Amino acid sequence: MLYGPYYILVEIWNLLTPMVLFHVLWATFVGTVVGMLPGLTATMGIALLTGLTFGMDPKYAIIILLCVYVGAITGGSRSSILLNIPGTPANAAAALDGFPLAQRGEAGPAIGLSAVSSYIGTVFGIMCLAFLTPLLGQLALKFQSWEFFWLGIFGVVVCGNLTAPTDPLKGWIAGFLGLLLSLVGQEGIAAYSRFAFGFDQIRGGFSLIPVLVGAYGLAEVFAVMREKTHIKIPKQVGRILPKWVDIAQNWFHMLRSGVIGVTIGIIPGVGEDVASWISYDFAKRSSKHPELFGKGSKEGLMAAETGDNACIGGAIVPVLSLAVPGSAPAAVLLGAMWLHGIRPGPLLMVEFPNYIYEITAMLILAASASLVISLVGVRFQIKILMVPRPLLMPIVFTLCVIGSFAINVRIFDLWVMLAFGLLGYAMRQYNYPAAPLVLGIILGDMVDVNLRRALIRTDADITPFFTRPISMILLGITLLVILSRMAWFRRAMTAVFRRRRTGAPSTDS
Amino acid sequence: MNREPQIEYPLRRQDIYAAVILIVLALFVIVESWRMPREFLGFPGYAGPGIVTGLLGLGLLGMAVTLLVRACRRPGAGVAISRTDIRSYLANPPTRRFGLVLLLCVAYLLSLGRGIPYYITTGAYLLVTMAVFRAASWWVIALVSGLAATVLAVVFNKIFLVPLP
Repeated sequence: MLYGPYYILVEIWNLLTPMVLFHVLWATFVGTVVGMLPGLTATMGIALLTGLTFGMDPKYAIIILLCVYVGAITGGSRSSILLNIPGTPANAAAALDGFPLAQRGEAGPAIGLSAVSSYIGTVFGIMCLAFLTPLLGQLALKFQSWEFFWLGIFGVVVCGNLTAPTDPLKGWIAGFLGLLLSLVGQEGIAAYSRFAFGFDQIRGGFSLIPVLVGAYGLAEVFAVMREKTHIKIPKQVGRILPKWVDIAQNWFHMLRSGVIGVTIGIIPGVGEDVASWISYDFAKRSSKHPELFGKGSKEGLMAAETGDNACIGGAIVPVLSLAVPGSAPAAVLLGAMWLHGIRPGPLLMVEFPNYIYEITAMLILAASASLVISLVGVRFQIKILMVPRPLLMPIVFTLCVIGSFAINVRIFDLWVMLAFGLLGYAMRQYNYPAAPLVLGIILGDMVDVNLRRALIRTDADITPFFTRPISMILLGITLLVILSRMAWFRRAMTAVFRRRRTGAPSTDS
Repeated sequence: MNREPQIEYPLRRQDIYAAVILIVLALFVIVESWRMPREFLGFPGYAGPGIVTGLLGLGLLGMAVTLLVRACRRPGAGVAISRTDIRSYLANPPTRRFGLVLLLCVAYLLSLGRGIPYYITTGAYLLVTMAVFRAASWWVIALVSGLAATVLAVVFNKIFLVPLP
């Protein structure tokens, strides 16, 4: 592990070729544009680019996708600050303080501060990625079928809980629906076709990219096109470069938000938006001036932006070590890695130990490019923001079509994309989060194969599911998450704690 | 004793319909899973292809029933949909815009893979969609749709070597 920094430097050096730098610059710029345009998200950008870069060298394809990821999460704050409309869900918290700052004529400094805190957050996340992935990889080597089964269920339950905080039941329904949809087609043990009903096209199951492009991209196109929007951007932007004193004064907020972002990132399927809100909430609670939050607080803006960007590195940790995505964009990234023949998971550390450092180096380049683009090209980016949505969204739809078609070269995938687009749109209308659905689709095969493999190994004895230590921990957390959302359980827990608190003095005396 | 007025839950009706659809889907999954072969290619019955789908179907059924019971208990809109409801829904401008977008998307997808060159179908789709939604002045729409269709065809087909529908 001590050789880690050395390997990262070596990988950065290896990546410093004109072709890589060219891809880094354009992909980060595309990511920034995707992120800052309301209606285009990081997940959608990565899903689209996965299809479009399918024919490229895997190294270039992965670096392009990582750059789009970092660029989109960073760029999303642009529209939050200038329009009060989050570019991506991850930047919703940034709008609370970014927009009031812009209204006060401080749009430039707000963009500068968000760019720098995004950079710091991303780099913090990347460092945690390089440090934590080998550790989690070591632990993952102890995982067997029982643990992988519970990990899949744990991921869907936790993701459903956190992405639908007001109504977790809908999050869990979305997750189970995703698990079921992933099991359509030939299964992985005996190649039996499930729910295909004689349709040859369905025998292979639903391809991941058309599903993701539909659920995120097309659903977004529908949602944006159904509303009429009028864009008003402040004319005065002002100085972009932030003051050092602002950064120095808020170092602790950024550090704490970085830790929160990485932690949330590691939890399967949760992602940047939750990281951003929790970071913002913690910053507000601990601030000396909580009354300024929501009225243009630089602390709030920096905490939110550091948190969501730190989540990027955190979300890639379980991708590399367990083949379980930490966020929706990371889910697409995982799918892209599979498409390019890269097999993340517990054996990655054994077979390709340097790959983690290669990813780390790619992310560092992406973060650096994102910082430069964020600070230098603001005025040009504002012009892009002013493009009317009805002019942009039809072009986005044609990109969705190319991206979905390119993987398998079949028209059927375009209809799959449309079906999932409608499903994603309906889910959004009725408060069902899309992230658990996507996570379920990714984890479905893992749940299916590992449950059945475990039963075969033990000749239908189910006790190891409940007695193996890691299984017990995963099951315990899963149950606790579910129970914690039940009113009767919360009431019972409150009563127990209250009884203990009131009973304490009597035992002391 | 005065009771506080209960706040109406805005998605009550939608939740009830969603729950019914999910219950039907879950029952279908359970039945289909039960009908799947128990012992397939020598694999034992307890590890058959329908075990996980069946369990997930049961889980989904449980959650859908919970959703239904919860929605029924909450105050809010009734289950019955009147003609006025349908009429006002269809007259709603966002609904109309969504319907139009969907129609144009389906028409575009139907036109693909039928021997018409990609740049023509895409150019026509972009032109019509932008014009219907009055995205900009007519000459900007014509220029953007033509340019976008050509650039997409050239960049992806000739440079990235991505097959186009």
